Amino acid sequence: MLNRILLGGLAACAMALPAAAQDVYLVGVTAALTGPPSSTYAPAVDALRLYIDRVNAAGGVNGKQIKLVIEDDGAQPSKAAANTKKLITQDNVVLMVNASLSSTYAPVIAESKNANVPLLFASGVCPQSVYPPANPLQFCTTGYASQFDSRATLDFVKAAAKGPVKMGFSAMAIPLSRGEMDYAMELSKKMDIEPVDQEVIPPPTADYTPFATKLKDAGPNWVYSWAPWVTQVRTLEALRKLGWQDDYIAWGHLEAESELARLKDGKFYVVNSNALFQEKEPIHQDIEAAASKAGSKFPAQTMTEGWIGGMAIEAALKGAGWPADPAKVRAEMENLKIDTKGLRGGPIEWTKDNHFRTRLYYRVYKWDGDKIARVQDWKVYEVK
Amino acid sequence: MPRFQLAPRTIRLQLAVNIIVLGSIYALIACGYVLIYRVSRVLNLAHGELMMLGAYLVLATASLFNGHPVMALAAAILLSLLTGGLVYIFLMRKMTGEMVLAAILTTVALGILIRGVVFLIWSAQQQYPAQALGVSNPSFVLFGGARISFWSAALVATTIAVYGALFIFLRFGRWGTRMRAAGQNPLLAAQRGINLHGVYALAWSLSTLTGAFAGILMALDSGLTSSMPVIGLKAFPAALVGGLDSFAGALVGALIVAGAEVLLIYYVDPLLSDVVPFLVLIAMLIVRPWGLFGTREELDRV
Repeated sequence: MLNRILLGGLAACAMALPAAAQDVYLVGVTAALTGPPSSTYAPAVDALRLYIDRVNAAGGVNGKQIKLVIEDDGAQPSKAAANTKKLITQDNVVLMVNASLSSTYAPVIAESKNANVPLLFASGVCPQSVYPPANPLQFCTTGYASQFDSRATLDFVKAAAKGPVKMGFSAMAIPLSRGEMDYAMELSKKMDIEPVDQEVIPPPTADYTPFATKLKDAGPNWVYSWAPWVTQVRTLEALRKLGWQDDYIAWGHLEAESELARLKDGKFYVVNSNALFQEKEPIHQDIEAAASKAGSKFPAQTMTEGWIGGMAIEAALKGAGWPADPAKVRAEMENLKIDTKGLRGGPIEWTKDNHFRTRLYYRVYKWDGDKIARVQDWKVYEVK
Repeated sequence: MPRFQLAPRTIRLQLAVNIIVLGSIYALIACGYVLIYRVSRVLNLAHGELMMLGAYLVLATASLFNGHPVMALAAAILLSLLTGGLVYIFLMRKMTGEMVLAAILTTVALGILIRGVVFLIWSAQQQYPAQALGVSNPSFVLFGGARISFWSAALVATTIAVYGALFIFLRFGRWGTRMRAAGQNPLLAAQRGINLHGVYALAWSLSTLTGAFAGILMALDSGLTSSMPVIGLKAFPAALVGGLDSFAGALVGALIVAGAEVLLIYYVDPLLSDVVPFLVLIAMLIVRPWGLFGTREELDRV
C-alpha cells in the first residue's frame, strides 16, 4: 500500500514538473563554477542570476518569470556536453547560455545544433562563429573577442611606445589563448613590432618564474598577454620578481579593477571593452546595490559581463513573446539592440549576419600614482 | 624554437635558483604523501586539497587576527595540524583493517568534499593571503645576479627545516620510533603496546601540516585559487620517483622532476612542463619501478 502511495506521489510530481515548467521561460546555463579558470566565470553567473532575479521581482518578462537552470561544468568539455544535453532534452530550455572555458564550446555547440536551440556566449570569449557571416544559432555578449582585442592592443602599444617595440607574448595552454597569441605575433610583424618570444603556460602552474625567466631573457620592452587572468597576472608578477621593469599589457578581465589597485604598477596596462566601476555610471551603482542586497560573494566590479548577458536574455525573451520556443527566441536575437547603459562604449547590435556586434569599443586603463587612470578613451572598431 | 646553446651565466644561475624553488615546492608536498604511505600504506589523494585548505585557512585567520600576521599564520598552521588529526579520527580511522583501495577511494571523496567546502566558503575568486595579512613579497638579488622572492626563499628554508625536523623526529624521537615501527610491522607494533591509532593520527596531522606549509607559502608568493590541488598532484610523481616510502627519495625525486621541468621549459618547450613530471615517472617505472630510494618489496603495493 505504502509503495503504491509513494509511486502515485512520484507520478504526480513527474506530471506536475513539466506543467510548472511551461509557466516560465526556461534558460539553461552551463558554467565553469569550479575548476582552474572559474574565477572568471563564477562572478558572471552570479551577476546573471542577480539580474534575472531583479527582472523577476519587477514582474518578469511578458508577465512570466524567467528561470535559470544553472549546471556546473568545471570547465570540462565532457561535463559541459552532458549539461547541455540534459538542459535541452530534459529541462526543455528555450535558450542555452555558455559561461565557461573555450574548450567546452565544441560539445556545447554540437548539442545546441542537434536540438536547434540558440546558444548565447556570456562571459566566455566570443568564438569566431558569431562574427559575420554568423552561425544562425550562436550569439555573444562577452566583452572580449579574439583578433579584435589583439588589434586594439597592438594599436595602443604602437601609439604609446616611444621607440622601437620588442614584444614578448604570454598565453595559457588552451586553444583560444594560444591561437590569439599566434595571431598577435603575426599581426605585430605587419605593424613593425618585433616579436621576441611566446611563452605558453599550462594551467595551473606551481611557479611562473621559469617561464618568466625565458621571457625576460628574450629581451622584450613590452609583454602582451591575452589569457585567463591568472596567467596574465602571475606572468607579470614573476617578471617583476626577476627585475623586469618594462611595460606589460593584458586583457582587462573581470578582476582587472581590483587587481590594478592591488598591484599599483604604473607600467601595467589593461585593455577593456567594459567601463570600470570607478567611472561611477548609474548602472554601476545599480549593480553594486544588487550585489550588496543579495550578499554576493563576488565584488560588484566583477559582474559586468553577467549583467550584460542578463540584459540580452531579457531583451530576447521580451521580443519572443509568450509562449516562447527556441525558434522564436533565435528569430528575435537576430535583430536585437541591447542598450548597455554605459557598461560598454555603445549598444550591442545583432543582425542576421552579425551575432557579435557591429561596433567594438576599447578603453585602456593603468594605475597612475594613487588611482586607476584612463589612458585611452573609447576607441571604435567597425565589425564587418 | 629549441635552443641548445648554453645560456649566459646569470641565466644559468637563475635556472639553478628556479630548480631549487620548484624542487622545494614539490619536496614539501611530496613528504606529506610519504609520511602517510610509510606509516599506513595509504596513498592520500586528498593531499593537494588539504594543502589548499591550509592556504585558505590563512584567509580566515587573517581576518580573525587583523594586523597580526605572525599570529594569523601560526593559527592557520595549528588549524591545519588539527585538521589532519580530525580527518584521521572521523574518517580514515573507519578504514583501518579495510582494503587499501577502499582507503584510497575515501581520500578521493575527501578531496572532492574539501574542494566543495572551499568553493562554498571562499568562492572561486583568486585570493591573496599576503594582502590579507598585510605583508609584501620583495625580491632579492643573489649571487651572480639571480633573483628570488622573499616567500620563495622562505619556502626553500621551510623545506630544509621540515626535512631536518622529520629526520630528527623519526630517528631520535619516541613517537618517531613508534611511527617507524608501525610502518614496518603494524601487528608487531600493536602487540608491543604501540597505540596505532595515535601513530596514524599523528602521521595525518604532520602530513597535513607539511602540505599546509607548501600551500601557504605558495599562496603568499603568488596568490591562491581553488586549482591548487592540481599542483599537489604534480608533486606526486616526485614522491614516486624517489620511492614512496623514502623521505630522502622524495627530496631527490623532487629535485629531479623540478630540474627536468625548468630546463625543458628554457631549452626546449614551455608546454613540456605539464608532462615532464609524468615522463620522468614513466622513465623511472621502466628502469627502477620501486623508485630511487624505495623498498623493493613495496613494489606490489605501489
